[in-house]
Amino acid sequence: MATDPESAAGQRIVEHLAARLRRRQVVGSRETALETVLVLRQVVSKARFSNIDQLVDTIRSVGRKLVEAQPKEYTVGNTVRKVLHHIREEYHTATRGAAAPFPSKPTFSIAKFVSQGQPRKQTASQRTSHETRGVLRENDADDPDAFARALKPVFMEAIQDVLDELETVYDNVSKVAKDHIHSDEIILTIGNSSTVEAFLKAAASHRKYTVIVADTAPSYSGREMAQSLSTSGITTVLVPDSSVYALMSRINKVVLGAHAILANGGMFAVTGSLLAATAARAHSTPVVVCSGQFKLTPQWNLYHEYGALDFADPSGVLGFEEGDLVDKVDVVNPYYDYVRPEMIDAYITNDGDHPPSSVYRLIKEAYDDEDYEL
Amino acid sequence: MAATTEATTKDVFDIWTTYQSILKDEEISTPLAAILALTELVQRSDAGTMFELVKALNDGAKVLNERTPNPISLNAGCELFIAFVTLFPHDSDSFSDLKKELVRQGQQYANEALTYRQKIARLALEFIKDDSVILTHSYSRVVMKTLLCAHERKRISVYVTEARPRGLGLRTYEELTAAGIPCTVVLDSAVAYAMNKIDFVLVGSEAVVESGGLINAVGSNQIAIIAKAANVPFYALAESYKFHRLFPLSQYDLPTHRPNILSFPLMAAPTPCRKHPVPLKEQPITAEERNASTLTSSQTRYMTQEQIARNPDVDYTRSRHNL
Repeated sequence: MATDPESAAGQRIVEHLAARLRRRQVVGSRETALETVLVLRQVVSKARFSNIDQLVDTIRSVGRKLVEAQPKEYTVGNTVRKVLHHIREEYHTATRGAAAPFPSKPTFSIAKFVSQGQPRKQTASQRTSHETRGVLRENDADDPDAFARALKPVFMEAIQDVLDELETVYDNVSKVAKDHIHSDEIILTIGNSSTVEAFLKAAASHRKYTVIVADTAPSYSGREMAQSLSTSGITTVLVPDSSVYALMSRINKVVLGAHAILANGGMFAVTGSLLAATAARAHSTPVVVCSGQFKLTPQWNLYHEYGALDFADPSGVLGFEEGDLVDKVDVVNPYYDYVRPEMIDAYITNDGDHPPSSVYRLIKEAYDDEDYEL
Repeated sequence: MAATTEATTKDVFDIWTTYQSILKDEEISTPLAAILALTELVQRSDAGTMFELVKALNDGAKVLNERTPNPISLNAGCELFIAFVTLFPHDSDSFSDLKKELVRQGQQYANEALTYRQKIARLALEFIKDDSVILTHSYSRVVMKTLLCAHERKRISVYVTEARPRGLGLRTYEELTAAGIPCTVVLDSAVAYAMNKIDFVLVGSEAVVESGGLINAVGSNQIAIIAKAANVPFYALAESYKFHRLFPLSQYDLPTHRPNILSFPLMAAPTPCRKHPVPLKEQPITAEERNASTLTSSQTRYMTQEQIARNPDVDYTRSRHNL
């Protein structure tokens, strides 16, 4: 199957993204998620399959390749899981319609009752738009493409849904901004998260408030954030990271971005987030995190202080200008902090606000159990 | 009509002995045994309507509940099965067909549930890093399976509490040592002393309740509190049939709490308080008693059965969010 030119082209796109991920040419959780969906869309549109398992296997092997290329960008794996989930869902609605006379009841068992609760009275077919029923032929020996031909449009639509979600994520997170930020409040933020930026700007159109931005050494991404916020007319104060604790008594709310949200409700976020969260805890200041649901990661961080031990170039901390020192000290420049769930009050996502304790539930809804390990 | 069927059912079938004989299988835990016993009841029952069947099941569950000393996890199993029977969407032609289907479901679930410990052991592997030092409490089948499974892939060492008065921790110790896992028994009172040497605590569970709390062998709660104080993770392993509709607000809300637990003995002739210091001084204190910390094992003193009976078997650990 891998020999025909179309899937060879698919392979090339995958290899290309894998290489760019490996070289860190694509960074950032949303960027990598978007690239992954685009690649998956290409792969599925070119893939040849005669049953659902073949398609799932194809997507999984692509997913594995991309995740192996850059295991620290969690959204790559998440996106693959999400696409698999959507595709399976579409497949099930399609086949349920086709196999309507056969009873779906014997599948109900005590195990299902434990995990899903009361059986639904009658699951009415919610989507009647997909007119695929009746013609579904899996593993047809005479016409192996019949299955693909029937369902590919639906699958492409499913992938498009994932893509749409990623594209509207900032708007949807910002929708509730004015419920979280009130007039005359002082907000602290750290780093340059696009989600937080959109969130704060959305709130500014309803409220007048002040943002204090820590400049977030050694990347100093806070400076870009401050610049961007002040150009859009928000009163902005840029402060050094070291004064976060001192200022905390005057701050009403800490708004952070996330790199990945983990199954236990903790998160990886830009270095300095833990500092801000700890200071906030000491003053009982609420900490909210703005993030799209594509960052939900079905993994637990149990033993890492630094986010998955991801380290950046140490020259930001100590450059070669300070030649004598360079070989006398170890310089560590971690990308991410791990912030424990106890330090976070709420996650503001593109699909509602959630406390850290219910993140595991969201993850269960978003992905299929069998995909946790790709 | 209903009364006669019930009577005949009881004559030929005693749910308590059935339950006891099912429990003889080492692998089957109380909730599963309860489900299997009720399945057996359905099979033997000659109920002709749903109402009769559910009544027979409720009566059976009540018998089990009354005769067992610790009904918590048993109730979880009974409630699960009865709720399942009531809500089961059936399209059977006759009631006897439905009963057959219910029996099949019960047995199928029991078979499936026997694989759950293996599944938990596999899922828990991710939580155990190489070279972990683990504290466990008493004896739990799912914890044993998890530790033995982890031992195949990783280096682990285990502290286990003695878990007085039944001393079940010694069973854990024997089995782990036999499997080649370095294991040391610690006194129940030495948990706080050992806590800073531990990577995480791993316990099984009697039941998981609605508040997110845990009901487990007595001593779990104090281990959890010590772990919390020392910032050590505390993990509980629970098969999904152990989730129980119960919302205890305190230890004394548990169905196992009897009035005699923690009660004070009735004094025959209460002595006035201020006289107390006098007779105490007059009591002869032996040299051994004065040096209590140097007692040898032959001089160790134990609680009497009656004193033990004033103590609980299980305790309730609140979830982190309610601490």
